[in-house]
Amino acid sequence: MKYETVIGLEVHVELATDSKIFCSCSAGSYGTEPNMHVCPACCGMPGMLPVVNKRVIDFGMKAGMMLNCHINRTTTFDKKNYYYPDLPSAFQTTQWFAPIAVKGLVEIKTSTGKKGIRIKQIHMEEDAGKLVHDIREDTTHIDFNRTSVPLIEIVSEPDLSSAEEVEAYLDRLKTLLRYARVAECEMAHGTMRCDVNLSVRPEGSNVLGVRSEMKNMNSIEAIKRAIDYETFRHIDAIENGTEELVQETRRWDDIKGMSFAMRTKETAGDYRYFPDPNVMPVVIDDKWYDGIKSSLPEFPEVRFERYTTELGLSEYDARRLTESIALCECFEAACKVTGNPKDCVNWITSEVMSILGVRGITYDQLKLDGNALGELIKLVSDSKVSRVNGRKILDAMFDDGTVSPAEYAASEGLIISTDTDLIDKVVAEVVAADPKSVADYKGGKEKALMALFGKCMRQLKGNCDPQVLRKALIAKINE
Amino acid sequence: MTLGYLISLEQINQLSLTDRQREEIIAFFAARDAELERLYRFDTADTERMVHVMPIMTVVREDKAVQLFTREALQAAAPETDEGYWCVPRVLE
Repeated sequence: MKYETVIGLEVHVELATDSKIFCSCSAGSYGTEPNMHVCPACCGMPGMLPVVNKRVIDFGMKAGMMLNCHINRTTTFDKKNYYYPDLPSAFQTTQWFAPIAVKGLVEIKTSTGKKGIRIKQIHMEEDAGKLVHDIREDTTHIDFNRTSVPLIEIVSEPDLSSAEEVEAYLDRLKTLLRYARVAECEMAHGTMRCDVNLSVRPEGSNVLGVRSEMKNMNSIEAIKRAIDYETFRHIDAIENGTEELVQETRRWDDIKGMSFAMRTKETAGDYRYFPDPNVMPVVIDDKWYDGIKSSLPEFPEVRFERYTTELGLSEYDARRLTESIALCECFEAACKVTGNPKDCVNWITSEVMSILGVRGITYDQLKLDGNALGELIKLVSDSKVSRVNGRKILDAMFDDGTVSPAEYAASEGLIISTDTDLIDKVVAEVVAADPKSVADYKGGKEKALMALFGKCMRQLKGNCDPQVLRKALIAKINE
Repeated sequence: MTLGYLISLEQINQLSLTDRQREEIIAFFAARDAELERLYRFDTADTERMVHVMPIMTVVREDKAVQLFTREALQAAAPETDEGYWCVPRVLE
């Protein structure tokens, strides 16, 4: 019998706010010492009341709009009860009855074509703390820095059916949320985590099979391996009776390449959800809603279409630029200065991306001023600065965001010389000092001219129009 | 509420009820069940869910990070700390 895999994802995304969801502690605690960003509220001390961070609601709305969801204009918070040391108040403040966004749709592309994945809901909630089990044998250590850091959980309908589709879906979520600048979505940093709900059923059936859930998956490769393993385990159990499938939560061990049962799956009733009496409903009026709607970025595909049709970029270049909204914004600002999209895309996909790679900066972390980049590109295209020195100036702009390309070029002596007397003088000295290369060139060896050219350029510190120099050099040799 | 379930609750809670007390408790829950049955008879299919019991909304604050407490102050009353962590008896991973 042929089977199909049915997968639904619950994706937790950490929102890129400065402070936590219900208190003013810093939310950016990745890599810092334990318990440095905590207060009585996020430590769950008695009597502390939550105050909602407005930007969390802004980002929740933006995420919902990017994923084509309906936004609930009155949204509420609820308490989800469970007792564990990573949750000091013994309940998580989350959204159960009226989440911020519902009924969305995300389109993915795979080798088999396009497919729509329905979004059941997006809800906002607070993260739990972090437990460390390996410092002492008899003790669990607790770090509350992450407690109350704002998350959204994006719950899909069970519309995914392969590891390839899951990868495409997660990539799409990442792109859209990064475009809206609501989240970093970096699995390696834990700012995007994923629970995979999986079952199998006979192909063509519309009855769902027994479901297992794998929690807190934090790499796409691990997710793909886990899906393949679980699919095989489920089919093997059905076909060969190797085990009885039960609804449960499982842990994926990526080193062993196996999943292990953790506990039987909780249902909503186990968590005793109830409206949080300490957080009143959030009512989103028209002004607030319209403000967020108008701040949404142009979608990547729309930008791609515009770049290829209106600006004449190749599909390859347009695809590379639209990987990141930071690249797009830098490119568009530079274009306004130069009026030459092709020149701008060449600089970004060669020099800018090269510097980002060397410095270990992601495209989304790019802080280069697009106007300044445009000025630099114009200096080079107007032959006022050589390409080599242009790269030096660009490096300086990465070091210091306030650097003006023209001022830096002038102060560092990088402006191309138009002083023909100086060029003639340098050419005369180089030709006189290297009679062998001169003879070789005259004898038909083109490479000898390049050697002389290089010596002249070095003496001029690169500040010379290559065409002018070449012409002067040939004229001198042929005198 | 059945007698068997009530006796099991007594054991869990280390209580010892008299027969009369048991009868009263069972009668109390039977009356509540009857009341619920009456409520369930209402047709609420087209009734919009109430968002909150009171017609008020939350206030929101600006997204600004401020650190008002030190780790040492917060951990002053902790039974056990180690290298800046709160400590509890080991729990399952």
